[in-house]
Amino acid sequence: MSETRLVVNDVSVEFTGLRALDQVSLFVATGEIVGLIGPNGSGKTTLINAITGQVKLATGQITLGDTTLSGLSPREIALRGVSRSFQIARLFNTMTVMENVEVAALAKGASRAVASQSAKMLLGELGLTVKADELGESLSYGDKRRVEIARALAAEPRFLLLDEPAAGMNDAETETLLHILAELPKKSGLGLLIIDHDMGLIMRLCSRLHVLASGHTIAEGDAAHVRSHPAVIEAYLGKGAVNA
Amino acid sequence: MKHSYLTAIILLGVILVIGIGSQMLGIRLYDRIATNLMISLVLVVGLQTFMGNSGLLSFAHIGFMGLGAYTSAVLTIPAQMKSMALPDLYGFMKVVEISPLFAMIAAGLVAALVAAVVAYPLMRLSDAAAVITSFALLVVLYTIMNNWSAFTNGPRTLFGLPKTTDMPIAAVLAAVVVVVALAFKESRTGTLLRASREDEVAAAALGTNIPHLRWRAFILAAFIAGIGGALWGHFITSFAPKAFYLKETFLIITMLVIGGANTVTGAVAGTILVTVAYEGLRGTEGALNATSFGAGQVIGLTEIVLALAMIAVMILKPGGIFPNREIGHILIRARRKKEIVAQ
Repeated sequence: MSETRLVVNDVSVEFTGLRALDQVSLFVATGEIVGLIGPNGSGKTTLINAITGQVKLATGQITLGDTTLSGLSPREIALRGVSRSFQIARLFNTMTVMENVEVAALAKGASRAVASQSAKMLLGELGLTVKADELGESLSYGDKRRVEIARALAAEPRFLLLDEPAAGMNDAETETLLHILAELPKKSGLGLLIIDHDMGLIMRLCSRLHVLASGHTIAEGDAAHVRSHPAVIEAYLGKGAVNA
Repeated sequence: MKHSYLTAIILLGVILVIGIGSQMLGIRLYDRIATNLMISLVLVVGLQTFMGNSGLLSFAHIGFMGLGAYTSAVLTIPAQMKSMALPDLYGFMKVVEISPLFAMIAAGLVAALVAAVVAYPLMRLSDAAAVITSFALLVVLYTIMNNWSAFTNGPRTLFGLPKTTDMPIAAVLAAVVVVVALAFKESRTGTLLRASREDEVAAAALGTNIPHLRWRAFILAAFIAGIGGALWGHFITSFAPKAFYLKETFLIITMLVIGGANTVTGAVAGTILVTVAYEGLRGTEGALNATSFGAGQVIGLTEIVLALAMIAVMILKPGGIFPNREIGHILIRARRKKEIVAQ
């Protein structure tokens, strides 16, 4: 499979006077995992919202291969192969876990039989088979996150954007998740963009990192480069920490 | 899927038992109540196909019932009666007289067609805006029925419909509508629509076309309402536009909400429960008024008690009696749990 890129070019987003993102550029290629990190309020979730069409761009554009995504509705962007999870899991609460996952395949045009088959498989992979018949609202935080990931995968995306997938998970669950996520690009050639505050997870998983602070890109590159970057240390630990 | 079959069997069984029970008793009052119940089932379960799956409250349902009733009336009132019943009817329509069965199908199609045209732009709206516009739609339909005298005889009573609806026919239609509603709920459109009901943002992010899904469900609900209207028209045989307005709207919404709008089981349970309560209260009201105790007449007891019951259910069980799972699903889960405990 040839490499395709999801490219964010010079993107700015404004909320009534506040510049949440200021001329940010990054790309994710199929088959790689990119980490998006930065302190609270730095614009990480806004960037995912911008890619998936939930917020409008003030400047710049977003492309997937030859297709321009910016300006399309969330629905049209989803149908072009970009899936996401949400920072606060948004499950379909009164539907069963099985149905939650089936919906994603159905929305993409799969038949009922195919949708049910792929949902069963994904629930198995994510260790959710025993929960298949439970309602979305009855799950623990960790399970909700895994259902969201299964749901996003059921859409068979080319790019998957995960907003804090490990939040609310215990160490063992995080470890399992890490293995599942690490396999995805190899198995299906998926491109993965991950936001998380668990630096251990991010450092082990991602080949490249992109660091935001107050809506600006302050550093990008591999883990070692980012970790020692003065601007990153300053953003996380405050001024003065660089020389300490 | 398996639990849907069980649900269908149980709900159809309930309809059958009520139907046969009312026939065996052989009391005319019970026959009338049972027929009314079956017609209400058609309307309430029809409303469930839209309201339950989309999560949008629709006030317009009874308006589409009215469209169906008038369509069937115009098509079935015998030609020699039409000059009396509908003096202003357009000339070419005066000679039309088709069988009630075809008229009923036509009634459903007319309601569905009107719904398809007027609802397309409305389905983009959500929450309060969607509810208010559906209410406005009811007002528009009611006003048209009141004023298009050529077809409806205006606000006056229209009479002369052949009495072709009896309890068994109504029961068969109720059973068909229950099966259609269950199948629609589990269909691709129904499943995606339910997802949008739970979370519009997440459903859109998966690529669902929410307005289009709602539109389909709205058309289906209107089709069933049109059929229900024709069914009712041929039972009551004479009616006026005021039969298709607020009182009936409130009644079917009460039935659906008390039972649980999200499930077909809830729609059926709510209809049966409210019908029984309604008839019981009406009987009590009549009995109270017949006695010489008390100062004056008891008026409106039925409506007040039903409204209070609705408020009580909303407070105690906001999702209704069957909020999430169909009866078949509940039973299968209970048995599975028991098996797990037994091991």
